Amino acid sequence: MVVYSFYIFDRHTECIYTRRWNQRPASTSKSVRPQSGASLTSNGDAIPGARKALSREDDAKLIFGTIFSLRNMVKRLGGEDDVFISYRTGDYKLHYYETPTRLKFVMLTDTKTNNLRIVLQQIWANLYVEFVVKNPLSPVEHPGGVGVANELFEMGLDSFITQVFPS
Amino acid sequence: MEVSRKRPQEYYEEKRADGGDGKSRSVIKPEALPGSVGPSSLLIINKAGGLIYNRKFTAGLNDLSSNDLLIMAGTFHGVHEISRSIAPAPALSHPSTTTTAGTTIQQNPTTLRASGIEVLESANFRLQCFQTLTRTKFLLLTEPQQPNVDTILRRIYELYADFVMKNPFQTLEMPIRCEKFDRAVDGFVRVRG
Repeated sequence: MVVYSFYIFDRHTECIYTRRWNQRPASTSKSVRPQSGASLTSNGDAIPGARKALSREDDAKLIFGTIFSLRNMVKRLGGEDDVFISYRTGDYKLHYYETPTRLKFVMLTDTKTNNLRIVLQQIWANLYVEFVVKNPLSPVEHPGGVGVANELFEMGLDSFITQVFPS
Repeated sequence: MEVSRKRPQEYYEEKRADGGDGKSRSVIKPEALPGSVGPSSLLIINKAGGLIYNRKFTAGLNDLSSNDLLIMAGTFHGVHEISRSIAPAPALSHPSTTTTAGTTIQQNPTTLRASGIEVLESANFRLQCFQTLTRTKFLLLTEPQQPNVDTILRRIYELYADFVMKNPFQTLEMPIRCEKFDRAVDGFVRVRG
């Protein structure tokens, strides 16, 4: 079980917290992938090449767009009480948890990980509420992530993740 | 390329060995369990994101109008592409291919290409997506606990190859109107469900 990254989005669709683990070096696969793709399939492999331009913020925006669309799709298909839990691709798995206040917790892990809904809910209840919401110095809203990435929250998140994903 | 050329042949052989099309097969092996609920609907999306086939098997999920289904198909197509580009780690084959770039050509192209959404889970249903090498997407909506959805989708792909692709009146990338395919899919899903 490997965890790749973790994001929190607030109800104004803004990414207020990002955390990445096991970062890969900037350009390991990028030089190879377009070449091999071009030699095998001449059409439509533009996406891996386009990945070069993506920065951290772009990644967060893309992830938000994805979960937003999928959440609406799930609600439309399964009814109002249905909730989007996760999706899996060949490379990774995305887990999703939304609080009643429309705070969205997203975690990207490897494909073999089981359902992490409860883990995300515990991050919200035991870490976010304790160290961000109850922090008297932190503002009510967090534009630009102000007040979320405090020391206690980050330490708590780190130790919690190492508990859940023993390596 | 060799793999994709070999496959339809194998399917055809297997089908003939069983003796008949999908419909008569359902008569031969009646292993349907009356109580269980099978897949609730099948959608086929062409490589441009248009919905070309839609079939409902059981009334499990919300009834959507054909317009809503078209929107859903387009949305899913877009999200499927995005989900490929936000892959956080390189695919497992990449560390080895970086050192020996010459050998990558011999590998199967499907292992090199980052795949999009394969399974989507929600509280009430599960959506399995199977993308062919030609980027046609097969979407199957099932119960959350449905087993072997992979196999069901592969089999539906075979039926598609047999009844839609071999139909001389079928235009590529256009909506599928083929009664034999309808019947074959219905029969197969009823047996498996």
